[in-house]
Amino acid sequence: MTVGSGPETSRLVRAIRSTDRSERDRSFEDLIDGLSVDELLQEVEALERFRAECEEPYAVVRAAMFLNAMYRFTLPRLGACDGPGTVDADSWRLVLSRRFEEAVQYFRRVAAESADEAGRPTAALASGLAAAYRGLAFQRLSELVRKSVRSVRGNAWMFRTGHPFDHPLRIHKALLETDERGAFPVLRESTPVRLDLTHSAWSDIFFLGMDYPEGARVLNASVGLCPLGDESGPKPPIDVYLRVIEEPVLRLTSVDLQTTADLERCTDLFDFGRDHLGLLKAGLCAAGFVPPGLEGADLPMRAVLERVVGPGLGLELITEVHELPKGSRLAVSTSLLASILSVTMRATRQVVGLEGALVEAERRIVAARAILGEWLGGSGGGWQDSGGIWPGLKLIEGEPAEEGDVEFETSRGRLLPKHAPLQGVDDRVALRRMIEEGLVLVHGGMAQDVGPVLEVVTEKYLLRSGDAWTARQESLRITDEILEALRSLDLRALAAATTRTFDGPIRAIVPQATNSYTERLRECVDEEFGEHSLGFVMLGGMSGGGMGFFLDPAAGEDRRLRVQAVLDRVHREVQDGVSFAMAPRVFDFNIDEVGTRARLLRGDEARLPNRYYALHVPRWLQRERQELSRSQRNELERLGEWSRLDSSEDELVPSLLSRLLPEAEPEQRFEGRTLDELLQDSGFDRRAHERQRLDLIEGRIGLSRNRLPTSMVVRDAEPSDVLETRGSMPSVWRSRGRTALSQGEAAVVTLAGGAASRWGGGVQVVKALDPFCRFRGRHRSLLEVHLAKTRQIGSELGVEIPHVVTTSLFTDAGVRRSIERAPELYEGVDLRLSPTRGIGLRLVPTLRDLRFHFHETERQTLDERAERMRDSVEQATLDWASEVGEATDYTGNLPELCLNPPGHFFEVPNMMRNGVLADLCASYPNLRTLCVHHVDSVGVNLQPERLGLHLERGVAASFEVVPRRVHDAGGALARIDGRARLVEGLAMPRDDTEWGLSYYNTGTTWVDIDRLLALFGLDRGDLRDRERVDEAIDGVAQRIPTYVTIKTVKRRFGLGQDDAHPVAQFEKLWGDLTSLPEFETDYHLVPRERGEQLKSPAQLDGWLREGNQGFIESLCRFSDEG
Amino acid sequence: MKIRTAVLTAAGPGQRGLPLEPLIDREGRKTCVLAAQLDEVFSAGLETAVLVVEPGAQPEYSAVLGRRAERVRFVEQSEPLGYAHALSLGLEACGDEPCLHLVGDHLFVADVLGGCARAIVEIAEQEGTTVCAVRSTREHSISEFGVVGGDPVAGRPGLFEVRRVIEKPTPTLAERELLVPGLRAGHYLGFFGVHALERSTVRALREAVAVGASASSGLGLSKVLDDAAGSERILAFEPPGRRFDLSDRYGLFAAQLAIGLEGVDREILLETVSRVLLERERRRAAEEQR
Repeated sequence: MTVGSGPETSRLVRAIRSTDRSERDRSFEDLIDGLSVDELLQEVEALERFRAECEEPYAVVRAAMFLNAMYRFTLPRLGACDGPGTVDADSWRLVLSRRFEEAVQYFRRVAAESADEAGRPTAALASGLAAAYRGLAFQRLSELVRKSVRSVRGNAWMFRTGHPFDHPLRIHKALLETDERGAFPVLRESTPVRLDLTHSAWSDIFFLGMDYPEGARVLNASVGLCPLGDESGPKPPIDVYLRVIEEPVLRLTSVDLQTTADLERCTDLFDFGRDHLGLLKAGLCAAGFVPPGLEGADLPMRAVLERVVGPGLGLELITEVHELPKGSRLAVSTSLLASILSVTMRATRQVVGLEGALVEAERRIVAARAILGEWLGGSGGGWQDSGGIWPGLKLIEGEPAEEGDVEFETSRGRLLPKHAPLQGVDDRVALRRMIEEGLVLVHGGMAQDVGPVLEVVTEKYLLRSGDAWTARQESLRITDEILEALRSLDLRALAAATTRTFDGPIRAIVPQATNSYTERLRECVDEEFGEHSLGFVMLGGMSGGGMGFFLDPAAGEDRRLRVQAVLDRVHREVQDGVSFAMAPRVFDFNIDEVGTRARLLRGDEARLPNRYYALHVPRWLQRERQELSRSQRNELERLGEWSRLDSSEDELVPSLLSRLLPEAEPEQRFEGRTLDELLQDSGFDRRAHERQRLDLIEGRIGLSRNRLPTSMVVRDAEPSDVLETRGSMPSVWRSRGRTALSQGEAAVVTLAGGAASRWGGGVQVVKALDPFCRFRGRHRSLLEVHLAKTRQIGSELGVEIPHVVTTSLFTDAGVRRSIERAPELYEGVDLRLSPTRGIGLRLVPTLRDLRFHFHETERQTLDERAERMRDSVEQATLDWASEVGEATDYTGNLPELCLNPPGHFFEVPNMMRNGVLADLCASYPNLRTLCVHHVDSVGVNLQPERLGLHLERGVAASFEVVPRRVHDAGGALARIDGRARLVEGLAMPRDDTEWGLSYYNTGTTWVDIDRLLALFGLDRGDLRDRERVDEAIDGVAQRIPTYVTIKTVKRRFGLGQDDAHPVAQFEKLWGDLTSLPEFETDYHLVPRERGEQLKSPAQLDGWLREGNQGFIESLCRFSDEG
Repeated sequence: MKIRTAVLTAAGPGQRGLPLEPLIDREGRKTCVLAAQLDEVFSAGLETAVLVVEPGAQPEYSAVLGRRAERVRFVEQSEPLGYAHALSLGLEACGDEPCLHLVGDHLFVADVLGGCARAIVEIAEQEGTTVCAVRSTREHSISEFGVVGGDPVAGRPGLFEVRRVIEKPTPTLAERELLVPGLRAGHYLGFFGVHALERSTVRALREAVAVGASASSGLGLSKVLDDAAGSERILAFEPPGRRFDLSDRYGLFAAQLAIGLEGVDREILLETVSRVLLERERRRAAEEQR
């Protein structure tokens, strides 16, 4: 095959345009196999020309994704785009403001002007182009789906209804017929959730179904649930109640989230992020009760209610999700949305039957509205997620778009799939029983964000990535096997097939869909049940939350209890390194043969959940009787009657009493200690804290004050400021380094005291202990990997190298437990822990800092809906800060989330304070150099060449930097006042200053111990003098700036639900040492794979695709490898 | 097919008296709603009319008929069993022959010579099939009418072949089932209240009412037409004119205004309306000054 410069001769363009399936579905890797860098650059040009001229949406998307892969992975891997350079601010701003098309043009223009002789862009520009193309591809995809959602027949009218006078809906008459006491009836919708037995490699992602309808296929069961052992048995876990009320408001109540609100203006309904009622609001909007066309109309809700319900009347919507925690992977939020839609559409006569199940056409329109509701409310869901409104087991398949469809000529498939009961089953009852008895359904306790996984799947699909595409085909074959196993009532075959899906296609497409916790659970279940353990099924986007174990019913009646015991045991074992939202639990379930259904309840039957009354009755009792509406007075009277008649298990009175007279909540503890005890034991300096609080309130410190003055000239470093160390390095450095290592001159220091807020998604987790990735066949933690690298170098040289791991209040106990539990993992290196004692107490941010954080920093604009959602959440956060009190101590959360480590500046000085450095020097008298690195710098090791270079230069410290990419943010090398130094991201005078700096700080430092001590005014002899060391550290610390930073932490409530709280904390950072003129420093330009830091789990996929797994394995010798 | 008889239904609850409301016709003559409707029917060439009324209402109606009385027969609906039942009684009275049906609580103001009735009757006789008068109706009010989904007949402006008929649909249903090519977005063909019914439709409606399936639901005619559209040719025609639902608030006033503005009293009417508006504005300005 030849390569030319025009679209006609480009391999990639030909594949995109081909009508031949085998050509069109060739993988990206296969298509570019064997091409040189120059040929690849020609392909880039051809793709770009094709993309600019093509009008077929999915072809454009695929071309953009090919271009992203070229710039992100292919060219950098060949070393073609690794030159240092700056990020063009104008182009990057366009990316941030979602103007991707323009950004591509800008970046290309700058790249053409600044390319090297061979026409290759710098690392910064290549990564910018990659980001712009990726953004463009996903933007086009979501536009396609959005267009279809809006134009689906039955949805479009709602966007045209711009005034209540135009409102076409009227409430069903039956809902206006009061009983003899004047009470309105209650319409109750009960909805099962969906359980996906096939998974089918995420084929339910909208984009996939619309581009590859023949590959979109799942078998989905509607299920009812209850917690294990609940005698009332499984039932639909969602109930939604709707009734007319006598006040002209829209009253929303979420019983399980214990939240209620009266909406008096239309704009309140579109404020989705303001409280926990966003889903209810999106449901009412998508149901057309307050149609999306009314968004922006600042009208009283009364106007809508008067038209739809009647003068002086209002509507109340109450939702209740029974005992089903977040992360169950059973599409609870979509099912709840569908339930709200169904009940509201019945009430407004859009669905014919007020009671009973829906008919097929109605289910389809409810499903279409659920997609709309998710788009309006900014949440996401798969195309099978409304499956709970259909009955029983059904096959859901993508459908090709045909003439007359809104999708025709835009997409190959329709937005909505088709649902059909599973055919070929002779005995449905036996099939149902087989699944109910053979599958143990669990919630593993994790509730990860699966959004990044879905993007990765889409990206790999568009690239037809070799393994991922083969895996997708394999998954479709296994789906056929699953269907056959169900038809032939073969539990073993079913379990074997779902297990193969997980071990094969799922892991091949997204390796991180599994994790060490899941693998450990599977091992333990296999051990526990032996031959009765038949297989595993992952539900939803990732494992760790909703999952299933197939067990032979012969394993015994207590098999579910035994699974619960296994869950508890493994949870205890891994909880230090894994972020759990709740304790794991087993559920009983049944297959629901009705689907969503409604009943009109009148009189005494029209009783709402007890938790509804627990929420509302105290409010009613606070008001004078005459202020209550007639129906509220009636309801109170009825409650009195019910409570007198109630059987004890209904617990109406106790729940009311506990609400009226709440008990004191037990104080939360971390590692057995309360917040106060932790503060006391950690030497918390209350006086300094009060001083900082005052400074914060009075504006002497704050986010804007972190920044260097704008009058300060911050220039990019010059090439002479860095030492290029990315190619081969002189053997003299290598031998010098090896000699030094052999003589015990160097040690590694892994900084592992951080609270890992980003890694844990706002929850405290010991990042060092997270078994984040598989190496040599097993999930291994960052700590294990770091030690394995030190072990490998030590064993090559025949010495045991000292390796210090710094810990903090947050990580120390976890790390110690981990070592005690499996000491063999940590053998072969001289491991020492350096616990840090200092601690900070987080504060509620000031409104000034919050506004700065929200509005004054450059950040990615989201799509229209998500942006509105973010605005709404931010306003709610400002309200929260104002209500709780600006700059007050943040104490309303778990103790570990109210505290913060004082910043990584202190982690090395603390080794002087806690005696670890003194001990180390005593054990290794020749020790001279520390290689200090963050725990997330996975590729760092004691590479002899680098040590040799550092020793050769004789400087106090050598900091490692990499050529900047667009997403690098946090600190860079700059020239200030004629001197090169690192500048922390927080201190950049303006946001765009950092983009103009070519070298990004990796955080890895080679430190000369004696010169570091000298900086502190110490020598080795002083290290045992605690007071002197303390004084010395304080002295230097005072010369280092204190930053105010905002971190986002989660506050858990309910069942795995959470609120995000931005909190303020004070920190000092290690890189600021370079601002001290007497501290002589070098800067080494190192390869990306060495300098890359894994700050968030969402980076993992890209990191793996860059080939880092193999690179890391080449550096490691794990303890189990002999 | 020849249509000789018109069937007017005026037996609905709360409808009594509406046909007797006074009006000024285009020529400035005093008349009433019923008389205007009958004049339209007879000017379309129909010979007789059957009027379905509540028990005991006949004398009131007879009193306003004048010379038209000899061409009008009354049928009483003894029990309030709904619109379809009333229509069925009227059809029975005209011997199950093809007929023109008008609802008594609507008034039609035609923009064409001879009125809506004549246009409908002509098409029905020419095509030999049932023809329903329809009007492009905005989606916010389709829940008040029977609504037709269909396709335009090539070369015949305003004429549609009916695919579906649904009574009082929500726009959710209408978008899925009742879209008509060529109509503005959010507009549907709503019944105009005038139908030329061919014999098979008459029979089907009578049978449906006889089995009682839809007699009380008020959905009879739409359901019968919807069923028929699946097996035979049903047409819908959009006559150039306007329809006024007299039972609406200000429905009668709007109808009168429309007729007046088309007739000899146009200047007087405009002057009256302008004076009312002007005086109101003057008063408001004076209040603001105070």
